[in-house]
Amino acid sequence: MSSSPNPAAAVTRRDFLRTASAGSAGLFIAFRLSGALLSDAAASSDFAPNAFIAISPEGEIRLVIARSEMGQGVRTSLAMILAEELDADWASVKIEQADCDAKYGDMTTGGSMSIRSSWDPLRKAGASARDMLLTAAAETWNVPKTECSTTGANAVEHKKSNKKLSYAALAVKAAAVPVPKDVPLKDPKDYRIVGTKRNRIDGQHIVIGEAHYGIDTKVPGMLFAVVARPPVTGGKVKHFDGSKALALPGVKKVFEVPAAEMPSLFGEERKENSGHQHYLWGGVAVVADSTWQAMAGRKALTIEWDNGPGADESSETQSAKLAELLKTPGKELKKIGDPESSFASAAKKIEATYDTPFLAHMAMEPMNCTASVREGKCEVWAPTQNPNGMASALASVLKMPQDALTIHITLIGGGFGRRLNIDYGVEAALISRAADAPVKVIWTRDDDIKHDYYRPISRHHLQAGLDAGGNVASWLHHIAAASTDSTFLGGEIPDTGGTEIAGTGLPGGSVPNYFLQQSFLHTALRRGYWRAVDMNWNHFAVQSFIDEIAAVTGKDPLQLRRQLITTTQKPAGEGDNEGDAPVNTARLLGVLNLAAEKAGWGKKLPPGSGQGIAGLYGFGSYVAHVAEVTVAKDGTLKIDRIVVAVDCGQVINPDMLEAQVQGGVIFGLTSALYDEITVEKGEVQQSNFDTYPVMRIADAPRVEVHIIPSREAPGGIGEPGVPSAAPAVANAIFAATGKRLRRLPFQTKELAQA
Amino acid sequence: MDPISITVNGKSHTVEVAPDTPLLWVLRDTLGFTGTKFGCGQSLCGACTVHVDGEPTRSCITRISVVGARKITTIEGLSPDGQHPVQRAWLEAQVPQCGYCQAGMIMTTAALLAANPNPTDADIDEALGGHICRCGTYARIRQAVHEAAKARGAAQTPAAAAGATR
Repeated sequence: MSSSPNPAAAVTRRDFLRTASAGSAGLFIAFRLSGALLSDAAASSDFAPNAFIAISPEGEIRLVIARSEMGQGVRTSLAMILAEELDADWASVKIEQADCDAKYGDMTTGGSMSIRSSWDPLRKAGASARDMLLTAAAETWNVPKTECSTTGANAVEHKKSNKKLSYAALAVKAAAVPVPKDVPLKDPKDYRIVGTKRNRIDGQHIVIGEAHYGIDTKVPGMLFAVVARPPVTGGKVKHFDGSKALALPGVKKVFEVPAAEMPSLFGEERKENSGHQHYLWGGVAVVADSTWQAMAGRKALTIEWDNGPGADESSETQSAKLAELLKTPGKELKKIGDPESSFASAAKKIEATYDTPFLAHMAMEPMNCTASVREGKCEVWAPTQNPNGMASALASVLKMPQDALTIHITLIGGGFGRRLNIDYGVEAALISRAADAPVKVIWTRDDDIKHDYYRPISRHHLQAGLDAGGNVASWLHHIAAASTDSTFLGGEIPDTGGTEIAGTGLPGGSVPNYFLQQSFLHTALRRGYWRAVDMNWNHFAVQSFIDEIAAVTGKDPLQLRRQLITTTQKPAGEGDNEGDAPVNTARLLGVLNLAAEKAGWGKKLPPGSGQGIAGLYGFGSYVAHVAEVTVAKDGTLKIDRIVVAVDCGQVINPDMLEAQVQGGVIFGLTSALYDEITVEKGEVQQSNFDTYPVMRIADAPRVEVHIIPSREAPGGIGEPGVPSAAPAVANAIFAATGKRLRRLPFQTKELAQA
Repeated sequence: MDPISITVNGKSHTVEVAPDTPLLWVLRDTLGFTGTKFGCGQSLCGACTVHVDGEPTRSCITRISVVGARKITTIEGLSPDGQHPVQRAWLEAQVPQCGYCQAGMIMTTAALLAANPNPTDADIDEALGGHICRCGTYARIRQAVHEAAKARGAAQTPAAAAGATR
């Protein structure tokens, strides 16, 4: 793929690199995920680096960020890691957003992976650059390198002789130093940047309205488009009449966007003959001189749709199918001991069923993409979390070689997993090609919600058998759910193993007899990754059910969790992003205990108020929530506060960590309190923030975040603050009222006292 | 389409658009003031908020034909140097995550403080109740509004007070 300059950037990356590397103009280090390094001589070869440090003779220190910024602060936190080991002056560091390029490797931003996967290579890259600068200084002064040190202000000094040279002055010489191997990394106790509060790098641009998101893209000669898409997933245009639209001022073109089969989202192997596949479903595009004219043109279209079999679906049929699926055995994913016999002979049996709905993402920046497909080249400006997936889809659908593609990754006004999908980019490219002009395709909010990739619906049947002593002897969990993965893999049910079972890791392995089964709902609706994904629905069921057992056995919910977690059978972490990585039970207990302590767990509360707890291991981090709620006599629920304890290993930026957890809690509460996507005759019924509310300021509770200091490798933090919000509140509602809400969103009318 | 004259950030512009075009799209597509954001198109989220004669106004449902001679201020024109007390407080509290909704939040807050220099939490809830932040930055927004109010109050000089109101 080429890397032509992004016109939005004041200094383009390519220009900068040219400056940085031309005529021995400075130190230029490229590095990749393995942490291997090469200097500028090698960088022009085919070696595929992941990101760059550049130090110019003018003193500029620049880091190319190969991940997408969508509010999680990745441009800042990745730069902090690098600056730390480079021992740079933080204020002098500048960042540049990378275009999509195979040389960066995987550029996907998702799974709370950015810090986790960058921690080692960025530290090594920074340390190596620093080492080369030290070498250059020692050679310049003809002194032992061991006597030289960096100052923390972009300079190397030799204290004995009171000599000092700036990184800028050393850059040319350092570039000629062989790249060192196995450079020592800083002792964490010496960190000056990592672990401290640093302001968001792009904050100033945001508050003055100069931060440019995808929707703000402007390209010379650009036209604007909106698309009428099939109201039912899988539907097709049977007939359309665009003549009235074409008669309107500013409307340039009206044409059908063909349906297109897209490759699997992350390059997975497609399973043959396996049902739902990964399609762009097409529609009718209206291209005009302005967004408003395009919208007016769309209103003037007459379209007859062939809705296809998806029109047979409704929320009622989906719900009935889920109930049916739970009546027959599912796919066996994990079995320990003899759960069926143990449950059959239990001294006491507890059973419950939990429901979670389809959900939309509702990022504030609606889907959009600007594309210019002309003369055999394709250039797009995409607010995307998945540039690699977009590249392969564009190449496949447009039938273009990868080197004809340029993908500029813009700032993103909220991703939450929606922008791992690449439908809106492929669609924009097809429209630009047909219009033979650069086109910005804008989705209205209605488009955005009705053509999302939804968090799957799920229903859970949980059974626990207690022995005579009241201990949990058996635990059986049957998940019936639509599958996210099947949208992209082309298969409804994976051939081997489980999928989307994060959040079931506990208490599996903690109880002697355990059974996990899974059944899949076939649905036409597109499913997608939604902040914390499967951890949300499984965790809601499991953490609610633990409390139901506590209630039946008369145990304190925290005490029961301690018992389950400290049992001699160490729980495994199946279903977590870490695969089979075992849960560190001490760290899990640590966050549960800290959240409880900070919330004053067990304190006396007024009637109608209660506390609830839930905790998890996921995305490499341990997070526990205590919710405090008050339920009025009429059933009105007030969430008084949420106390969160976090152990995510080494913290990069505590202020951003707090922000991610605060926001994650609000995200989780929104899903717990308000939202579900419903379907009638295959059509999504929600259309905007009135029918799909998002939590507003008056209802947002105080969220207190407490961090456990740690030197463990950093875990992710974008997602693990979300899943415990709903079960902690459900458990608090039970503590306050004695009523158990087993369905999301909560039907608080059930809480009204007669 | 007859030319329509509007005043944005103190400067007069003449645009040729259909009279039913929302101010939002004139600002964004015609004049290039992209700091004002499209979020819902139905006055449900507040991302498109600008000042019309100082009043916080949803530009997505405000037809250009009704604007007339009234003065429009967008986030780009809130302060000459990006140092409006609300902008400073937003940075001090590190409010933005993705930042997409924040221009609307800031414009409404600036108008709130101009009318009510010491808002209570209830005042803030009422003023910002029409806004949505999907990243969930509300706690920091509340904190920043209070801090901006304090900063305005502390700015005793007439020049600073004038800068704070617009």
